[in-house]
Amino acid sequence: MNVIREVKSDRVGDRYYEVKHPSGLRIFVYPKEQNNSTYAVFGTRYGSVDTTFKRSDEAEACTVPAGIAHYLEHKLFESEDGDAFARYAKTGANANAYTSFDVTCYLFSCTENVYESLEILLDFVQSPYFTEQTVQKEQGIIGQEIRMYDDDPQWRVMFNLLEALYHKHPVKVDIAGTVESIAQITPELLYRCYHTFYNLNNMVLCVAGNVELNKVLDLCDRMLKPSAPVEIERIFEEEPREVVKPRVEQKLSVVTPLFELGFKENAVSRRTTKELAETEILLELMASDASPLFRRLLDAGLVNESSFGYEYFEGPGYASIIFSGESKDPDRVAEEIRAEADRLRREGIDQEAFQRAKKALYGRNIAALNSVDNIANSMASFAFAGRELYTYIDDLANATLESVQKRLEEQLDPAYSALSVVYPVE
Amino acid sequence: MIGIEQRAICDGVNFRSIRDTKFKTMRISAHLIVPMSRQTAAENALLPFLLSRASREYPDFTKLGQRLAELYGASLNADVQKLGDLQVLSLSASGIADRYALEGEAISGELAKLLCSILFDPPLVDGLFPEDGFEQEKRQTMELIDSEYSDKRTYARQRCEAIMCADEPYGVNRYGGKEDIARVERPALTAAWKRLLDTAKIELMVLGDCDPAPVYEGFRAAFETLGSRKTADCTTKVVRSAEKINTVTEKMDVAQGKLVMGFRTGTATPDEEVPATRLMAALFGGTPNSKLFLNVREKLSLCYYCSASYNSMKGIMLVQSGVEVKNMERAKEEILRQLDEVKQGNFDESEVEAAKMSLCNSYRTLSDSLGGLENWYLSQTFASHSQQPEEAAAQINAVTRQEIIDAANRVTLDTVYCLVGNGEDAQ
Repeated sequence: MNVIREVKSDRVGDRYYEVKHPSGLRIFVYPKEQNNSTYAVFGTRYGSVDTTFKRSDEAEACTVPAGIAHYLEHKLFESEDGDAFARYAKTGANANAYTSFDVTCYLFSCTENVYESLEILLDFVQSPYFTEQTVQKEQGIIGQEIRMYDDDPQWRVMFNLLEALYHKHPVKVDIAGTVESIAQITPELLYRCYHTFYNLNNMVLCVAGNVELNKVLDLCDRMLKPSAPVEIERIFEEEPREVVKPRVEQKLSVVTPLFELGFKENAVSRRTTKELAETEILLELMASDASPLFRRLLDAGLVNESSFGYEYFEGPGYASIIFSGESKDPDRVAEEIRAEADRLRREGIDQEAFQRAKKALYGRNIAALNSVDNIANSMASFAFAGRELYTYIDDLANATLESVQKRLEEQLDPAYSALSVVYPVE
Repeated sequence: MIGIEQRAICDGVNFRSIRDTKFKTMRISAHLIVPMSRQTAAENALLPFLLSRASREYPDFTKLGQRLAELYGASLNADVQKLGDLQVLSLSASGIADRYALEGEAISGELAKLLCSILFDPPLVDGLFPEDGFEQEKRQTMELIDSEYSDKRTYARQRCEAIMCADEPYGVNRYGGKEDIARVERPALTAAWKRLLDTAKIELMVLGDCDPAPVYEGFRAAFETLGSRKTADCTTKVVRSAEKINTVTEKMDVAQGKLVMGFRTGTATPDEEVPATRLMAALFGGTPNSKLFLNVREKLSLCYYCSASYNSMKGIMLVQSGVEVKNMERAKEEILRQLDEVKQGNFDESEVEAAKMSLCNSYRTLSDSLGGLENWYLSQTFASHSQQPEEAAAQINAVTRQEIIDAANRVTLDTVYCLVGNGEDAQ
């Protein structure tokens, strides 16, 4: 029996449905009747960091090669009777997939044949087919994907930072792995990871757009194969808050240097939506286009509007605030940012800046609900982190200056920061 | 509720509104379109960035940013792009619909006024753009060009286009050259701004959940004060076929090589063969079911990406791929072999259907985002009859197998651009 819950937001004027399917799958349906398109994501809580794990039905933990979640994502598109793209070609859906640090998602967007496309999605993700030959073939393609990222200064500056911040946590390893690590991948290993993590109890389906709840559920009843209730323990070595090294650099073919400045936090459990909202407000008032810090950096010719940014980089076992951009003098930018965090701690947050930041974030989160892509992807990542979309928007509205000031006490500590720079080759 | 309206404000100025309350947001944009030229590209490109940083009421960059934040994170954006041999300078204001304002603020009304104000009445001092903002935007625009160099995929595509179209305005960088930007002086900018208002072809758009009537009235009044204007001739040169193949190899410190092949398709807007050429490009290399994806990537395992894109304004098609330098020649041969397959009609009905469905899907999807609608109607600026996306989809569906073959047979290879690592040679 499906257990259906309607989730409504008076603030936003929207609603969606959360369904606990008897197969173990959690299903989210966000209807947008006036849309032409529908976007669906079938995702598993399995990403590049899940390389050491223990199944509840096994005695021993095991470790698998880096990059295997991503490799599996590539290979799942193939089945015994052809590949999923060829099947989608008959519905017109635009299909893709992505692997991040903590999730793997298969998705499509379409304007016609929604339920046919959804059937393909549910079918191929539940039908693994790996042989020596097909696994071998992918080495060349993924090898080129890795090489492409080797030349990507934004990718390099980020992973260099993560290596400077993290001693043990696998978040510091490239999502696609290395040419060496993927060479160790076999069909057996792929099956093992598949049968561990592609368990419906570990997965979600999110559909947003021009769909009917009942039709989605009928299809799920027909297509979903119940999974054994295996539990997965993800094992991470203990990670100290101290960084590995405060500074790291590399030379690449760029003109203006790129930088990323990270402030590491303790991350035993995932952040709540309230903590997320407070951190977003803090970053907005501290470093947005409208902030005094940004203005100082701009006037000194140290950053530009098109590249400067910040994010709360947070997942299982890791949490950091990261500032990034291009600058002729990254060390001075880092100095200014660290000093501004100290100043805010010392002098306190300005009331007007706080109110403005709240309004700006509220507006941007309303705007984000235009897009079915964004809705479906956010619902999936929120579900895996134990969060809820509308609660997050409410938490933004309900945040107080005091609560944000209190977050700051635990965040942006220069003692736990590192700077990564990519300089031009001479 | 949805309503589409279009009317002329004055000579060369077109106002279009696509009102749709399914959106939680609105956007007002002004696109100033001028012929691309090496002489004026840099000063024109600086203008949208300069105009969007301050207004008469909020002459300070930070104060303006704070006002936008108060308007629920509204934004004022500047953009420069190429549309065929034309340079498109865009300014837009976006925000949430008034119904979401928590204190009853008229967000859209204020954004409309702000956009008119920065476009028609910038905070000039003694007739010039203020020095500090001017220097800031010069630096930032030069850094934008530098960042294009960092992204090797984009860089290789731009180099191929620049080499292929060296004798056409399209070959100029959308921001002009870095040296040209460095040379721009303030008096020239004021003149360029006035010239834009007097001679650019101007497309004004109101999109999403916003009443277009007051926006129209604001722009109408502003253009009335300007007086009569004369629109520049906006044409694009179309080279129908390549006479010889130009091969250029450049070296750089990179791990992966980039191969970009530029083709002349013989077909450009407003030719009636455009839909057939678009479909041919999709079948050849536009989707994960295309010949390039299935053969160069999946069968030969030579690359992670290999795709074709058709620029209908300019009548060119580019094939882009990231490959090991030692495999470059093999990739190039396979790309040409696959094009030959299309020329000879070696494709089946299911490939045609797949390409049609994929293109139609993207046409239907674009009306779900303001950005999609904006780009679509901007692309219709020079069409003799402005199409809806649904009409374009119908045209694609009407293309026959023979028309695809004919379209492929009009294609000629013009330029092969290879970016290779230092110490390597393209083989």
